[in-house]
Amino acid sequence: MEDLIETLTRGNPTEVKVVLASVALALAVYQVVLISVAYGKLRPPFLAGRPASQAHRAVGDTIAVVLVVVATMCVGYFGIEDDAALHAAAAIALLTVLALKILVIRRWHAMGRFLPALGISVWLLLALTWLTSAGDFLRGS
Amino acid sequence: MAAPQSHTRQMIGSLVVALLIVAVAVGVVTAKFGPTSAAEQEAVEERIKQREERLEERRELLEERREEQ
Repeated sequence: MEDLIETLTRGNPTEVKVVLASVALALAVYQVVLISVAYGKLRPPFLAGRPASQAHRAVGDTIAVVLVVVATMCVGYFGIEDDAALHAAAAIALLTVLALKILVIRRWHAMGRFLPALGISVWLLLALTWLTSAGDFLRGS
Repeated sequence: MAAPQSHTRQMIGSLVVALLIVAVAVGVVTAKFGPTSAAEQEAVEERIKQREERLEERRELLEERREEQ
């Protein structure tokens, strides 16, 4: 696994991971704007609720894939280190809440009223996961 | 109610904005790294190693001369 990650990233696994995590965070900020339009909290004249909601779903699927790739790289290459306990806990919580959110969207429609809370939780956990790893790395570089 | 065609356009526009955000995020983060690719780091390490070897050789030469005196 380590060799595969090393080859795919051409010897820069940390840098690739930081870029992917930062892309996921940037898209997550955009997601907040899109869902605000979808729920009618923001009403820009150039974007209606339905297309905003569809775009939110498409971008959300992309973020989920990026996060799974980053998590796989993280565990496969770096493992779980003792000095990154907060990062590991935040990441595990993030993937769990994200999986729950996807389950509610696709299957468990009765729990739809919890989607805003789940979305906010995903956003906060993603920000915490990024801050405790990529954020630290970027501050140091 | 807007026409479906307008909805499609808005949806595509939203996704184009998402792509722009991705491009900006990649650009900003990559620029922050600077020239720290693995190949460049290896070249720097190689130069440091060569300098250390030269210093070591010079030190040995000096010691040999001192012993000869």
